[in-house]
Amino acid sequence: MKTPRLSRKQRALASCAPITGEQTPDRRMRSAMVRASGSDEFVNQQDFDRAVAALVQAVPVPPEIVEWLTVKDLVLSPKRTWRKTVRNPAVLAIGIALVVITGVLVFHFIGRLNDFPGSGTARKLLTMAGSTRSVLLDPVNADAGTLSDLFFMKHGLEHYDVPPEFADLRTIGCRVFEDEESRRIAQIWVADKRMQFFLFPEERDAKTGAVLGFQGWRYIHQEGWVGAVTERNGVCFMAALRGRESDLAPYLAQKE
Amino acid sequence: MLGDSRKAQEVFQTTLREAALRAAHGELPNERFWLFREARWRCLEASETDLKAEPLEMEEHEINSGASSQIEGLKPAQLAIWISSAPDPQRTALALYYLAEFDYREVLDLAELKLNELSHLLLLGRRQLQAWLNSHAC
Repeated sequence: MKTPRLSRKQRALASCAPITGEQTPDRRMRSAMVRASGSDEFVNQQDFDRAVAALVQAVPVPPEIVEWLTVKDLVLSPKRTWRKTVRNPAVLAIGIALVVITGVLVFHFIGRLNDFPGSGTARKLLTMAGSTRSVLLDPVNADAGTLSDLFFMKHGLEHYDVPPEFADLRTIGCRVFEDEESRRIAQIWVADKRMQFFLFPEERDAKTGAVLGFQGWRYIHQEGWVGAVTERNGVCFMAALRGRESDLAPYLAQKE
Repeated sequence: MLGDSRKAQEVFQTTLREAALRAAHGELPNERFWLFREARWRCLEASETDLKAEPLEMEEHEINSGASSQIEGLKPAQLAIWISSAPDPQRTALALYYLAEFDYREVLDLAELKLNELSHLLLLGRRQLQAWLNSHAC
């Protein structure tokens, strides 16, 4: 039989190989046994060990001791420490998954904290603001506050008023269009900071039809754009620009 | 470990009594093999008081292919005496290993040995037992 080359450590392990021949959980031992299994020396050793172990089993043990306990009863089960438990790959994987799920839930929860009636529509319009070109709008050079009359007379839109905070800004153009839910939305382009205004109907209660209003100004963010939204007389107004809240804050502070 | 069932029984009972006392006082060590470690030291203590044979150079021989049939010809008590007469830690290593209840890492832990030490003691034990078997057969 061919004698395989074993490292010093593998030779040491092979000489301590389990006698019973049962599968050992120790990977290094399994590897050493597989490599050594081709040699006569190892085969002789295993036969020798099995014969000695069988003889050891035959050593008479007083019956009163046999009745007492078996070897397995005398071995305390190993105590699982926190460190061992945490290092278990299954526990580690579950832990990471829980952290990720918690992170997503927290992210959504924080997002929901800033939600208000009409925030969904406002976000969609913010996305649209990023892709709108001024050539799509009808050119109008006037104060933004004066467009309420235009919206009312030309399009029949009531209460589509630009709040006083933004009423003095000069406009470049405007348009009225319908979104996918057939709601009529007014869009105004302003020269100052390439800002855009949106006026759209506020959400209503599905059962009562009452307007779900809110007080003051609310900020929303979407793809690098920021919007300041307020609601008056069932119509939401949003001032949107590419930038941060601090870019819009001075306008809101003016009239407060 | 002792080659004497009466002494082994005494050690077993003393060790269990010690364990029961410690358990009653809530002082049982949180150590997996405490009972075996305790029993081992008690065996070594008990054998300290015995008459000892003068240490002599044991012969060694490579394991024969027919060694298992030679071993089958032995009486269990003869093997027990042969193992118990080995110096420690070889005696502990042989006793624990051939009990076939522990894996090598547990034997290393219990006998407080390193892998190369255990390996050497087992190899030496096998070769010495083979030489003894050969001389016994003659």
